[in-house]
Order: sequence, then C-alpha cells, then structure tokens
Amino acid sequence: MANLLFYLMALGAVIGSLGVVSAKNPIASVLSLLGTFFCLATIYLLSGFEFLAAAQILVYGGAVMVLFLFVVMLLNLGSEEGEGSPLEFVRRRGAPIAVATSVGLVVLTFVGILGAPEVRAAEFVAAAPASFEDIATLLFGSFLLPFEVVSILLLAAAIAVIVLAKRERGTAVAPTGEATK
Amino acid sequence: MTVPTEHLLILAGILFAIGVGGFCLRRNLIVVLMSVELMLNAANLTFIAGSRHHSALGDPALDGALFAIFVIVVAAVEAAVGLALVIALYRRKQTVSLDSLDELGD
Repeated sequence: MANLLFYLMALGAVIGSLGVVSAKNPIASVLSLLGTFFCLATIYLLSGFEFLAAAQILVYGGAVMVLFLFVVMLLNLGSEEGEGSPLEFVRRRGAPIAVATSVGLVVLTFVGILGAPEVRAAEFVAAAPASFEDIATLLFGSFLLPFEVVSILLLAAAIAVIVLAKRERGTAVAPTGEATK
Repeated sequence: MTVPTEHLLILAGILFAIGVGGFCLRRNLIVVLMSVELMLNAANLTFIAGSRHHSALGDPALDGALFAIFVIVVAAVEAAVGLALVIALYRRKQTVSLDSLDELGD
C-alpha cells in the first residue's frame, strides 16, 4: 500500500514538474510546483522523516510559493504571448484548481493516518521514524556551526532584500498628500 | 517489501533533468527561478534517499535529513533574493523576460 502510494506520488511529482516548465501562464507553473512540493512532502513522510515533510510544506508550500504567487500577481504576469492575466486565469480555471487542492489534501490526510509508525516501518522504510528529539540533539550538537552560519545567512538575505526592494532616491512616486490626509 | 533506494534516486534524477530543461529553455525569469527550486528539491530527494538507505531499524540516520533542512533554508533565501531582483528588474524594464537583459553582451 505504502509502495503504491510512493509510485503514485512519484508520478505526481514528475507530472507537476513537467507542468512547471511547460505551462504558458506563470501562475499555472506556480500551482504545478506547489503540487510537486506536496508530492515530495508525502514521499518524505513515507520515508519516516516527519519533521522534513512538515518543513517542506511550511517553508516551501507555505512561504516560498506564496512569495512566488505574490510576485506573479503583483507584476500581473500573463502568458508569454501577452494574454491572460493571473486573475483571469484563476477565474477561468478555478474549479480544476480547487479539485486538485482538495484531492492533494485528502491524500496527505490519508498518508498521515495510514502512515502509523508500525505500518510504515514494515512496508516502506527500514527504520522507525526519526523523532524530533533525535533531530534536535543532532542540530544543536554536531550541526551547531552550520546552524549559526545559516542564521547569519538569513540576516544577510533580509538586509539584501530590503536594499534591493527599496525605491531608488529620486524615482519615488510623489505622495498623494491631500487624498490620504 | 520496500521500495529500493534506486527508485528514489531515479525520481530525483528525472526531477533534476526537468529542472535543468526549464532553466535552459524558458525565458520568463520567474519560471527560471522555479526551475532552480525544482533542482534543489531533486537534490533534497537524493539526501533523503541516502539517509533512508543508511537507516537501520530503531537507528535512523539523520545526517541526510539535516542537510535537506539546510537546503530548504538556503532555497528560501534564494527565492527571496531572486524575487527581489525580479521586482527591481521589472521596475526598470517593465518586463521579466531574459531576452531583455543584454547590457553585458555588447
């Protein structure tokens, strides 16, 4: 059963990634990539790495994809032929997207229930799932230096993004004074 | 009866190849960034496959999983900086097509 689920998810990931590179509309690419991430998270969950599956969904499916979606919407990017704004796309394809999302969530729930440790250990992984305690011990033990380096990287990235996104002096749009007062 | 490690590696290879294809062929900067994310995920999958391969019952090998966590963090940083660059570029050129970037070429 878990094996079948793995091959289904592998197929889903491949189809999703093909969708990412072949879709005409950027928003279709973003949604395909989201599907791929969910399939990969399911594979991580099946492999016994629960924390990683959660991080995949929270960081990738949540933060990174929302960032992509936000930029596509903000810049109002249509397809390369110049037709179909993101909103129009969502309005036209709303139903299939909703169905795909629901199916994805159902599958994930299914995996969560089916993937009770005993079943999973017997069928898919050779090991019992890694506990949070093990991960924390390792992360704050032998991986402490990389952990600290990553925190500096995040700080540097935050500063870089602020500098990049700041409006250049002189090009600022004049405030609409009276209207907002 | 478990899925052999090779199958996970084959899946990772396929995903990486698709990512490289998208990176080389697409002209939309946002889709190119998404292809990079796809490649990073394929790399993550190989880490997971290795970690799973070396796990024994009751003794999970977590090094690969921890590396994957660091890869996720770096990918998030990459996405944030990349998208900030895309927005800065859009302000200047009103487009996100790579074909419009040729200042260094001539």
